[in-house]
Amino acid sequence: MSDNKKRSAKEIIQGYSGPKLRIMEVCGTHTHEIFRLGVRNILPENIELISGPGCPVCVTPVGFIDEAVYLAEKHNCTITTFGDLIRVPGTEKSLAGARSEGARVLPVYTPTDACRYAIDHPDEQVVFLAVGFETTTPSACMAVKMAAENGLDNFSILTANKTMTNAYRTLKGSADAFLYPGHVNAITGADSCARLVDEGIYGVVAGFTAKEILAALAVTVVKLQEGKPFFRNCYPRVVTDEGSIPGKRMMEEVMEPCDSEWRGLGVIPQSGLRLREEYAAYDARKKYDLPEIKGRPNPACRCGDVLQGKCTPADCKVFGKGCTPLHPIGACMVSNEGTCAAWYAYRKETIDE
Amino acid sequence: MSKTVTLAHGAGGRQTSELIHEVFAAHFANPLFTADDAAVLEVEAGRLAMSTDGFIVSPYEFPGGNVGKLSICGTVNDLACMGAEPLYLTCAFVIEEGFPMDKLEEIAAAMEKTAAEAGVRIVAGDTKVAGKGQVDGVFITTTGIGRIKEGVRTGGALARPGDAVIVTGDVGRHGCTILLARNEYGIEADVDSDCAPLWGAVDSVLSAADDVHVIRDATRGGVGTVLYEIAEQSNVGVRINAESVPVDGAVRGVCGMLGLEPLYLACEGRLVIIAPGEEADKIVEVLRQGKYTAGAAVIGEITDELPGKVVMTTEIGAETLLPQPGGELLPRIC
Amino acid sequence: MCVGLPARVVTVKNGMALVDASGAKREVSAELLEQLDPGDYVMVHAGVAIAKITSDDDEEADALLEELL
Repeated sequence: MSDNKKRSAKEIIQGYSGPKLRIMEVCGTHTHEIFRLGVRNILPENIELISGPGCPVCVTPVGFIDEAVYLAEKHNCTITTFGDLIRVPGTEKSLAGARSEGARVLPVYTPTDACRYAIDHPDEQVVFLAVGFETTTPSACMAVKMAAENGLDNFSILTANKTMTNAYRTLKGSADAFLYPGHVNAITGADSCARLVDEGIYGVVAGFTAKEILAALAVTVVKLQEGKPFFRNCYPRVVTDEGSIPGKRMMEEVMEPCDSEWRGLGVIPQSGLRLREEYAAYDARKKYDLPEIKGRPNPACRCGDVLQGKCTPADCKVFGKGCTPLHPIGACMVSNEGTCAAWYAYRKETIDE
Repeated sequence: MSKTVTLAHGAGGRQTSELIHEVFAAHFANPLFTADDAAVLEVEAGRLAMSTDGFIVSPYEFPGGNVGKLSICGTVNDLACMGAEPLYLTCAFVIEEGFPMDKLEEIAAAMEKTAAEAGVRIVAGDTKVAGKGQVDGVFITTTGIGRIKEGVRTGGALARPGDAVIVTGDVGRHGCTILLARNEYGIEADVDSDCAPLWGAVDSVLSAADDVHVIRDATRGGVGTVLYEIAEQSNVGVRINAESVPVDGAVRGVCGMLGLEPLYLACEGRLVIIAPGEEADKIVEVLRQGKYTAGAAVIGEITDELPGKVVMTTEIGAETLLPQPGGELLPRIC
Repeated sequence: MCVGLPARVVTVKNGMALVDASGAKREVSAELLEQLDPGDYVMVHAGVAIAKITSDDDEEADALLEELL
């Protein structure tokens, strides 16, 4: 039964013969799964999937890595981070580079583990690198609250947290429809994207299994063909209309909106989050009075254009040549979820090495 | 004897001799274990295989084994991959000052037990002690010699289109075990290392099959890395079916939490065997009767498309490249 | 972004849930969910249960596609 359905989702997609459709996924895990499953290799030519700015590593500006390296080297801080960020190139070096020169850099599974590490190591100053969207941000808020409850003076976070809604507005013209990131919507709710229909922004909330991705694509194709404004929650087993009310409350309590720089896209107003004044003691920028650090990305790198669907990785001069997963130049090559890394890893088309 | 290893144990004097006698010679006792500068061995005429490997693992003991067992399996399996029956082994220890003596005993005991099972004799050894912090616990290097079975010729460059690709069991268990044993991510799972000596399995395959082209030990970098090495060395394409790759449920769970791919996690008791397609059923059947290879399965085939690449058929029936492994294995979370 | 893994809730205590993902166990925060009981299935991301899972992806995909027919 379900096998028939799976084929029929695939059939709907493969049977499409209308004008060109541009569908943007805005979640790194979607990008990763779409490549891992080979979804692009079964699409007809007139459906283009664009990998948008949905991988937190890829949209984190170079200057953020520079700030982390600065804290590790100048203030001897122990940097705790999701493993994803360790190899991202900064202006001078990555955190992996700093670590090889003696800096303490520890990958953690969750921000509260970083806080627990600080409790267990009172003689170290511990900084957690808080990246991620609404899915991940509540966990960073939990770590800050945990630090406050334990009266810690050796724990802080360096924020680069981002929110998606204004990014959709910025990217509105880049695609006909979005595959919304299901796990962001698990927190923010399906309604947060349903409301965008009035602004002419369309899409579906998508899950992450093969069946979910194909079903979401099939729905998108059918809805686009109908030519009417649309929104559909294709991930109802996880995403409710209102999302996680405790999650939203927690972010609201600990953080406040701010303008935020997205690598390659520039500053998007009110698209970031920073700690509220009452948690200033846990804000690494304030605690260490960080100078303004302007990162200098490699000028040949076209990560920004790739993220907006203005070009494919293959159009970038350094892709696969200077820039490879082992020696990344741009952030999109670093994370396994990055568009360039996924292209490099999974594309059957031969890459000139 | 003292409860920990001291720098004096490495100084060449009375304590060194005590350590060698009471820990190593006591366990490795066999008529060939030498007290002289080198072991003297009788070897029949024929082709020999020789291999050496250093073993560093943190933590040095883990569910399913310790660095001692690992140091025997690693070298024995390297020899077995060339179709060689392991005969003699040497081992060199670098021990960190302060290392607990009882743990060293356990490591030596594991080496003895594993060597006996693999039918290999430890004939010479060396012990050095390094200052605290200069090494992490204990490092062991083993070197082995084996006699290649008559008429057998295996090698990474010998895969041919039409061959079947077989793995001898579920993948990634050793890597997953070590990851959990380090306890950096607070995850618990009932997973043991697959660390095992595999000459017995190889011997039974070579006896049952008329022709085997490649046997390779999937250690660091896992099965994915080995497949790429073979694709490159033989200048052939490898096609695997994602759903045929055996993975233990708990390993899959751990990988799911940390965003890791089991095909790149290390194994220490898993072989990739490549043999003509018509031999595949026979080989899998023999392996399934073996102690360490009951989970053997055909996972794919060798092709003449895309030489040097590994292509995966995915659960939606699409084809995609298996990503080339490389770099430090880091969890992908956000 | 946001690697998520479905897992079964084993126990719930003090805002933390012990979850089991096909044998891999870990304590995760249950703070984002208003009500959580042993036996529930949740989506886990970076040490936090971010949502309850109410059915499997088979049923969900079937329902979606039926609607399109």
